Amino acid sequence: MKPEMKILAASGQLGYGIPEEAFRRGVARQPDVIGADMGSIDPGPYCLGSGEMVVAGEGLRRDLRMVLEGAKETGAPLLMGSAGTAGRRSQLDGVVEVVESVAKERGIKLRLATIPADIPKEVVRKHLRAGDIEPCGTVPALTEEELDRATGIVAQMGVEPFQRAIEMGAEVVIAGRACDTSMFAAIPLMKGYDKGLTMHMAKLIECASACADPGGRDASMGVMGDGYFVVESMHPRQRCTPVSVAAHALYEQSDPFQLEEPGGIIDLAESRYEQIDERRVRVTGSVWRPSSRYCVKLEGARHTGFRYLAMGGIRDPRMIAATDSVAEETRQIVSRTFVGSIDPSDYTLTFRIYGKDAVLGPVEPTPSMAQAHEIFVLIDVVGRTELIAKSVCGVAKQFFLHLRYPGILCTSGNIAHPFSPDVLAAGAVYEFNIYHLMPAGDPCALFPIQMRTIGG
Amino acid sequence: MARLDEIAIVIRSKNAGPFCLTLDVLFADEASYRRVVAAQAITAEKMAALYRQPIGNVQVYHHPIALAMKVSIVRSVPAGSLADTDLYGAQQHVPLYPIEIA
Repeated sequence: MKPEMKILAASGQLGYGIPEEAFRRGVARQPDVIGADMGSIDPGPYCLGSGEMVVAGEGLRRDLRMVLEGAKETGAPLLMGSAGTAGRRSQLDGVVEVVESVAKERGIKLRLATIPADIPKEVVRKHLRAGDIEPCGTVPALTEEELDRATGIVAQMGVEPFQRAIEMGAEVVIAGRACDTSMFAAIPLMKGYDKGLTMHMAKLIECASACADPGGRDASMGVMGDGYFVVESMHPRQRCTPVSVAAHALYEQSDPFQLEEPGGIIDLAESRYEQIDERRVRVTGSVWRPSSRYCVKLEGARHTGFRYLAMGGIRDPRMIAATDSVAEETRQIVSRTFVGSIDPSDYTLTFRIYGKDAVLGPVEPTPSMAQAHEIFVLIDVVGRTELIAKSVCGVAKQFFLHLRYPGILCTSGNIAHPFSPDVLAAGAVYEFNIYHLMPAGDPCALFPIQMRTIGG
Repeated sequence: MARLDEIAIVIRSKNAGPFCLTLDVLFADEASYRRVVAAQAITAEKMAALYRQPIGNVQVYHHPIALAMKVSIVRSVPAGSLADTDLYGAQQHVPLYPIEIA
C-alpha cells in the first residue's frame, strides 16, 4: 500500500486574492505539495500578444506572500504555472521580481527554479516546414506568414519540466505557460501514483473549489492513494459531491470524457465517484491513454492595430427606430470621406448596438429594438495605426451624432455621450493566430530551467 | 410542456479555448435529466440550427453521472478577434432558455 499524498491547490488564479481562511486550513493539514495556477488563455490575445503584466500590485504581492509562507511553514515544494496570465517571459520575470522582494522582506531563503515557456519562431518554423504542426481543433492551418506576424508564442509545458526542476533541488518553481494540471500532477507522478487518477485529480483541483457545491474560489485538496484519490474543499461549507465533482469535467472543456494533455488523454468515461463523508468524494477508474507522440500546445497572438472607441446612449424613440439606417449611412460617409487618404483595408468600423444584437450577433433570436426605451451604441474602430483609428472614429462619431433621418424632431444630436473626450483611445489590439500542436521529442527541451537561491 | 430554463438548475456558456464555445445544462435530479434527454430537444441538428453552424461543427454529450448535457460548438469567430462580441463566451447560452421540453 502506498501512503497517501496531499496536494493543496492554493488558487486557480493567483494574484486575484486567495481566500485566506481556507488556504490556512489547507496549510494546517501539512500538504506534501502546494500548487497554484496563475493564468489562462481566457482573458484573450492582448495578454499574450503584448506580454504586459495583467495582474500586479498588492493583490499579486499578498497572494505570493501567502503561498511562500505556506511553503516555508510546511516544507512542501511550491509549484506555480502560467505566471502573469499568458505565461510570457516578461510576465514570468514580473512575478519573479515580486517573489524575490517578498522573500527578502520575510527573510525566507529558498532555491528557486524559473522555467520560461516562450518558443522561438525558428523552432516553430523548422517543424512547420517539416509538416508536423497540426491545428488544435477547428483552427486554420498555420502558415509562415502568420508565424512571422506573431508577437508572442508560448507553449503549455507538461509535468516534465517541473519534475526536472524538483530533481535539481528547487523548493519553489515558477513557470511560464503551463498546462493547468502540471503543477499539481508533477510530484505525485514522480512518486509513482497512477497517471490517469493523478491527472484527473490535478484537473479537479486546479480551479480551487470550483468542483464543490456551492463552487467557490477557495483552496482545495487532492489526496492521492493507491488506486484512488479523494477531493475536498478547504472551505467548511463547501461540499464535494459525486455530481459536483463529475460536473467539473464539463467546465471550459469541449469534451467532458476525454481531456487532452501533452503525451496523452485523461479518459473519464469509466470514472466512478463515491461520497465518503459529508464533504469528500473518492474517485476511481480514470485512465491515462498515452498518445503515439508527445505534443505541446502552442499559443500565439499577432498585433492587429490600435483601437479607438466612441460610445453613448440613445433615448429618443425616433432615433432608436432609425439607428440601423443611421449607422449604415455613417459607414458610407466615413468610407467616402477617406477616399484617397485612408485605405478601407486599413481599418474596421463596427457599430455595436446594445439593446438589439450586440451580444449574440447573428444568433440573436429577437434582433429588434421595438420594445427598447433606451439603447447603447459602441462605435468600435481598429486602425492599422493609432492615427488612422482616431481619425476614423472621430469622423464616424461626428456623423452618427448629427446625421438627419426621416421623422427627426431633435436636430441637435442623436446620442448622449457620457464622457469627455467622446473619442477614447483603447490601446493596442492583438488577435490569436496560433493555436496548434507541435511535437516535442524531449518534453523538457523547449523549457530551459534556471536555478538560483533567493532571499535569506 | 415546460421550457428548459424551468427544468435545469444551471444553463451556462463559456469558451473551451479561443476557438470553441461550450454550453452546459445541469439538472438537480435524475428525473429532470432523463426527461430532457428523452425529449430529444438538445441534438446536434437542433443546436446547429439555433447557433447557425454546420452540423459538423457541433458536438453534443450526455453525462448521466454529472446529470448534465453539454454542447460544444466551433466559435463563429475566435475569442478576442475584431468581430467577437463576447470574449469569455459567457452570455451565449440564452437561446437555450425557451427550448420546449415535452
